[in-house]
Amino acid sequence: MKNKLMHLSNETMNLGFVKKVEALSGSSVRRCFQCGKCSAGCPMSAFMEHPPNRVVRLLQLGQGQRVLAGRSIWYCASCETCSTRCPNKVDLASIMDALRKLSWDADGPSKESYVQLANRLFIENIRTYGRQYELRLGAAFNVKSGQFLKDLMLGPKLLSKGKLKMFHSKNRNIAEIEGIFKRIEEMRKKGEAL
Amino acid sequence: MTAGKKRLNYSYYPGCSLHASGREYDISTRALFKALNMGLKEVPDWFCCGATPAHNVDELLSLSLCAKNLNLAEEVEGDLAVACAACFSRLKTTQHRLKEDGNKLKQVETAIDGPAALGKPVKHILEILARDFGLAKLEQNIKKPLMGLKVASYYGCLLTRPPGVPDLDDCEDPSIMEDILRALGAEPIKWSHRMECCGANFTLSRPGVVLKLSNAILESARLAGADCIMVACPLCHGNLDIRQQGIKELYGNRDSSLFGNIFGSEMQQGGDGPATDRRDLPIFYITQLAALAMGATPEGLGFESVITDPKPLLRDKHLL
Repeated sequence: MKNKLMHLSNETMNLGFVKKVEALSGSSVRRCFQCGKCSAGCPMSAFMEHPPNRVVRLLQLGQGQRVLAGRSIWYCASCETCSTRCPNKVDLASIMDALRKLSWDADGPSKESYVQLANRLFIENIRTYGRQYELRLGAAFNVKSGQFLKDLMLGPKLLSKGKLKMFHSKNRNIAEIEGIFKRIEEMRKKGEAL
Repeated sequence: MTAGKKRLNYSYYPGCSLHASGREYDISTRALFKALNMGLKEVPDWFCCGATPAHNVDELLSLSLCAKNLNLAEEVEGDLAVACAACFSRLKTTQHRLKEDGNKLKQVETAIDGPAALGKPVKHILEILARDFGLAKLEQNIKKPLMGLKVASYYGCLLTRPPGVPDLDDCEDPSIMEDILRALGAEPIKWSHRMECCGANFTLSRPGVVLKLSNAILESARLAGADCIMVACPLCHGNLDIRQQGIKELYGNRDSSLFGNIFGSEMQQGGDGPATDRRDLPIFYITQLAALAMGATPEGLGFESVITDPKPLLRDKHLL
């Protein structure tokens, strides 16, 4: 897609998508005037094919699908530097959250599956245990991502230092967490929440 | 003068990391509060705040989890003390967002099946030390000043950003850590990377990212002549401490690709020794250093659980 001419017309621009992003993030996309401060300060821009300011520009041009297809949104570390420095109060960190949510819901075509897998396992852990069970998180990630040897030497070291716990008990009030997950799902089904 | 004042009592939200990979942050926080005669009572049955992964893909879930925790915290008296920078950021963001957005508040209240209590002040340990307890009183209570310890204070991302939300200090040029260090008798150094990201939760999904970013942070602290780095976040600690050996293996024992190329020999001439030598930098939690200065027994501060051994440095500075 790089270096290809972009043709803008009613057919190629999806402005409804931008409105959705603005509603979810509570931040304007249109206010950006491309000063580039966000990308200059972004610690992760070296890992992104579209640096933060270009993500916003693509959104302004109704090219949301190009953003979702890339890995930029999944390489955002949520450090909030961009939102802190934006002279036009574009809350880019929240826009990134909104984009990830939209990509997540659509089971989008992103190239970055490891970060998504880590997020999914993290949230699953909350639902199952109430708190993070770090050993399970690490082990499940290695198994599901097929990287069985990743940080293999680190595990025993951390266990011996007491930094990882072998066993983890569920919260007593775990039913309340399940309730929160269920009610959010219901609200979304009824269309009461995004 | 301060003797007549009431004893400070706090409710306490440790967060998941402090019960596992950041356990020394938890035990040193408790030791510090005891040494300063402040009350600290853990909120019963707290849940994970959702941290970055939850708000990354599902803001409503993240807000609901935090609102639930804020409700649980209402059961314990006193302002809510939070040690983890990520939990602190999420809880403050939730209060801020729900006070601002009535629609979101309605959705969250449906999710947690009840009204959300947003009134409790959420305070980071740094804030409690510097403002509630007070720097002057901190200085009076010192038993063992951290003389000659050159500390690079590392803020990371979530303690001060975004503006107006955590409200801890200036979002681009904070000084709260340096102020506390000076009160403890240590020497805070000036350095470039105190607000840069360490790679955060990419430590699980993309460790290469963490190795690159954390290497730059360690490198910068070494060049500035730091003996050690002080943090206030279990994830920053994990990345800088646990990954430090991995960084050495990846980038070699000497020479800095980052600063070596940019500044050349110019930077290295001023220092007292080869600035590019990749020496070990112990990483301390603010509570470990503060508790040590307050005369808490070093055995109870979790120095043994740290990967990059801090004991040689502490012995060298006559602090053990």
